[in-house]
Amino acid sequence: MATEKTDVVIVGVGAAGGILAAELGKAGMKVIGLERGPRLTTQDFDPHDELRYFQRQDLRPNIKRQPITWRPNANAPATAIPVQNYGNQAGGGTVHYGAVSWRLHEDDFRARSHTIARYGASAIPEHSSLADWPLSYADLEPYYDRAEYDLGVSGRAGNLQGKKIDGGNVFEAPRRRDYPLPPLRLDQGAILFEAATRKLGHHPFSTPRAILSEPYHDRPACTYCGFCQAFGCHVGAKSSILITKLPEADATGNFKLITGAMCHRVNSDNSGRVTGVGYYGPDGSDNTIEAELLILTTFIYDNTRLLLLSKSEKFPNGLANSSGQVGKYLMAHMMPNVYAVFDDRHVNNYMGPSAQKHTIDDFNADNFDHGGTGFIRGSQISVGTGNLQGGPIGHTTTAAPPGTPRWGAAYRDYLAKSFTRQVAMVAQTENLPYADQAIDLDPDVKDAWGLPAPRLTYDWRRPNELARVEFMMKKMEEIGHAMGAAQVWRAPLGPGAPGAHHEGGTRMGSDPKTSVVNRYGQSWDVPNLFVIGSSTYPTMSGFNPTLTIQALAYMSADAIVNRYRKAPGSLL
Amino acid sequence: MTKHDEERRAFLVGAAVGAGAVAGASLVPDALAQTHEPSTTGTGPAHAHAGGPGLGAFFNTEDAATVAAFTERLMPGAPGKPGAHEADVLNYIDLALAGAYADLQYFYRCGLASLDAYCRKTYKEPFRRLSTAQQDEVITALEQGKASEFSWPSAAAFFNTVRTHTMEGMFADPIYGGNKDFAGWRLVGFPGGQMEFTAADMQSSEPFTRLPIVGLQAKAG
Repeated sequence: MATEKTDVVIVGVGAAGGILAAELGKAGMKVIGLERGPRLTTQDFDPHDELRYFQRQDLRPNIKRQPITWRPNANAPATAIPVQNYGNQAGGGTVHYGAVSWRLHEDDFRARSHTIARYGASAIPEHSSLADWPLSYADLEPYYDRAEYDLGVSGRAGNLQGKKIDGGNVFEAPRRRDYPLPPLRLDQGAILFEAATRKLGHHPFSTPRAILSEPYHDRPACTYCGFCQAFGCHVGAKSSILITKLPEADATGNFKLITGAMCHRVNSDNSGRVTGVGYYGPDGSDNTIEAELLILTTFIYDNTRLLLLSKSEKFPNGLANSSGQVGKYLMAHMMPNVYAVFDDRHVNNYMGPSAQKHTIDDFNADNFDHGGTGFIRGSQISVGTGNLQGGPIGHTTTAAPPGTPRWGAAYRDYLAKSFTRQVAMVAQTENLPYADQAIDLDPDVKDAWGLPAPRLTYDWRRPNELARVEFMMKKMEEIGHAMGAAQVWRAPLGPGAPGAHHEGGTRMGSDPKTSVVNRYGQSWDVPNLFVIGSSTYPTMSGFNPTLTIQALAYMSADAIVNRYRKAPGSLL
Repeated sequence: MTKHDEERRAFLVGAAVGAGAVAGASLVPDALAQTHEPSTTGTGPAHAHAGGPGLGAFFNTEDAATVAAFTERLMPGAPGKPGAHEADVLNYIDLALAGAYADLQYFYRCGLASLDAYCRKTYKEPFRRLSTAQQDEVITALEQGKASEFSWPSAAAFFNTVRTHTMEGMFADPIYGGNKDFAGWRLVGFPGGQMEFTAADMQSSEPFTRLPIVGLQAKAG
């Protein structure tokens, strides 16, 4: 058992943790990062192996060693979820993600007050705890800008300081300057989607992605190999934290990364301060680090689990949980899919970055009048690959057209014809927060370290959510037909399990009674404890979370370096 | 190919052919013909495995024949359309159960035993001896959860797992033992792990035909 001392411990060195490690290290703070998985290199990603990375999820947590259980309601038994979408190595999910990089809309930061102002309070579903964020888009804009330029994001501005620009996302909030890199190249599916959505009066654009369209910061441009989402990038064109911020953190001389380290407890004293952490090493040893400042930047499950596991006399309901809010408001994107297959052309959908290639934002957030729709909030709609994977194994995991069997000669012939002729559309649909969508500790299932598994209680199939999903399905069907597809069909909806981008559990807010952390991710109860990541999101928007996680990390790093370090205590 | 590989293949092919010989048309002759390889072991592909070195990594002879017949019905071969047998899906599943999917060995044992019991009860014969039409009836009953004799795994769970593994064996890189000679990738028109696509490649509405097909260890013109 080792014991060491440092200024800062960061638990989980992914989208947020890697940025904090580099920025705090540059400011002269001594940082130790704990990472459960290994630290890989770009050359580890040479094998273009769909079985290993997509199907067997090699860059993601092992579902048997690290189970996450799910039950649709508090009376149902919980079972392990079969696919986990977060990362399990230094760099976290940014190693294998699709790199889609959005700024949230202005009204995403004030979903509650905006909804009441436009539609009245009765438009908010009865049981939803829809909330405003404790900060505005304008507060975060400088940090979005910093993340885009520091990491490398490709796209085209649609709103440059208030001036709308066709070809970019005209629904985006105003940005101070264009993206650092031009949009990624379009493929055949994107070209068809672009033409069809324009014909329908929508506003298509190339999805902004943290993938280099041109060489940048000594890294090469994307080769469009197609082994992207679920894979590490074999040339280093994906702007993962592994190859952007971790080398920067190394160069400070103030950062030490400990891999194979499973943090199991946050230690605190009777004064209400955190004193450090306990972690298991790869040899099973139980080790301690003493620190002045602790930052939790694990995926949402472990942010919640660590707080609940770290009870003390002073914090009998879990660390930083005097509000009783830890674990509440789990949200996940619903992912309705519509497929379109063409008779008259090949689209060779396995080429190019595989996630959300081309997008319309016309039906997201409050970008359209929801009057009479029966729901609030919305979804981006994108064209891309089924299950975000363009290879042939991925193709067999998607739903065949109605009437086509799942096996036999007819299925073989469907695969043989459709693999190079089919595209997928997905509506990444916002899920509102509800108090009974929650994370707690499973009383029955333990992980490989003997810790109780995080347990999700969640079922998205509520009236507002169902209406929103149905609306998006119809829009995607319209687009598929407008693309000239020979056949357009819906994938069946699942059993209510959480879909993509799980968020929530340590909500940020303005009131210590109803939130866990403040706008900086600082615990209201424990000022030397920060929690940073999408676990703090009060609402989720219809956008992928990562760029906002990164912007929040830069903002918190600034606050820690410039203010907290001089006067440790509450930043508010 | 090493001697061991050849022996393994001879064993598995032999098991599959044994099933086909009994089941009549359960294997497509055109597809089968392409899998016959010179064997240095003397274990001719027309014979069921007769013991000795080169046994299957996991399956015994009977189970190998059952899985060969089952997977061929899930993904049947036809002239110009390689199926499970031609892609060596049996070899993929056999190796996977001895390695990455070792925790599914008992799942397969129980599922195959239930399948056997159901077929004997319903048709008085094991699965591998049924006609292809009967085999399809059995698989349909499994898929719909209507086959009796299954407890754990359920009939539907067993079907879904074998289907998933069949697709993996068809389309995973050949280093895993299936997708032999890129049979699966040729079926659907996938060029494998290309390192780069050009703008012209991406904007074309024609099939991508530039060779070679790229695997992890092998390329094919």
